[in-house]
Amino acid sequence: MARKRNSESGEMNMTPMIDVVFQLIIFFVVTLRMTKEENKDIDLENGKNGDTITAENMPVQTLTIEVARRHPILAPHGRISINNATCTMSQLDGILKKRYAKFGSFPVLIKADKDAIHEDVRKVMDKCTANGVWKVGFVAVQDPKDKTKRRRP
Amino acid sequence: MAARSQEDAKVEMTPMIDVVFQLLIFFVVTLKQEDILSKLMASRPAPDPTAKPDQQPDLIDITVHKHGFIFKGKPVSLEGLDRTIERYSRGSKNANVIIRCTSDSKQRYLVQAMDICSKYKMKNLSIFSM
Repeated sequence: MARKRNSESGEMNMTPMIDVVFQLIIFFVVTLRMTKEENKDIDLENGKNGDTITAENMPVQTLTIEVARRHPILAPHGRISINNATCTMSQLDGILKKRYAKFGSFPVLIKADKDAIHEDVRKVMDKCTANGVWKVGFVAVQDPKDKTKRRRP
Repeated sequence: MAARSQEDAKVEMTPMIDVVFQLLIFFVVTLKQEDILSKLMASRPAPDPTAKPDQQPDLIDITVHKHGFIFKGKPVSLEGLDRTIERYSRGSKNANVIIRCTSDSKQRYLVQAMDICSKYKMKNLSIFSM
């Protein structure tokens, strides 16, 4: 049946299908890379009274250190990362040292999950002070706009 | 010029509309509004066990523990802390605020306390870890 009907209709126009398939492929390739960059373990607390972070008031030397919440199996001691790349305490120490040698004192922002334990945050702060950075900033959400994020209470 | 487009007569619009719609859908789906973030700055003094911060006259000492805040030895709610800081801020914006965090306290309480201080323009914040 199917074969008969196909041969009857003769030429089948494949171009629109190929167009759509290519567009879908491009779509998935692009969105796949977008989702990778985000750190899913970081859900920030609201802080509407802080200074807004904009591209202008954030110097290029700024180092943002992420502190994730603990996970009983995957991360029993918390996870520290920079741009979502996990780093150990000694690596962090090296990064801070290099940066200090290059820029002098530089701004540090700590992006810690709302359920992160202070012990983990403290370790990061202690590494900062040990390397000459005495002022640290904590990142909070001033105006939640990202509706795709499911916020935990 | 105008004559040429009339000569062509039927211009196939369907593929263009197809592509435009797909582009539209693509941008609607990929558009993600970023959260607007804020920063709360504090200084981090070196842990000095001999320091007696209680001797300083204008000093607000907040303790952040696992389940909330302690001010002057009594547990306070977020609203209570808000009122306290507001009262202090009427006197002087330059008062030193010390936030002591126990090691098992959660980041959210620290951020909440710092947010309140920022609300009343108290800029001299320091964080101690216990």
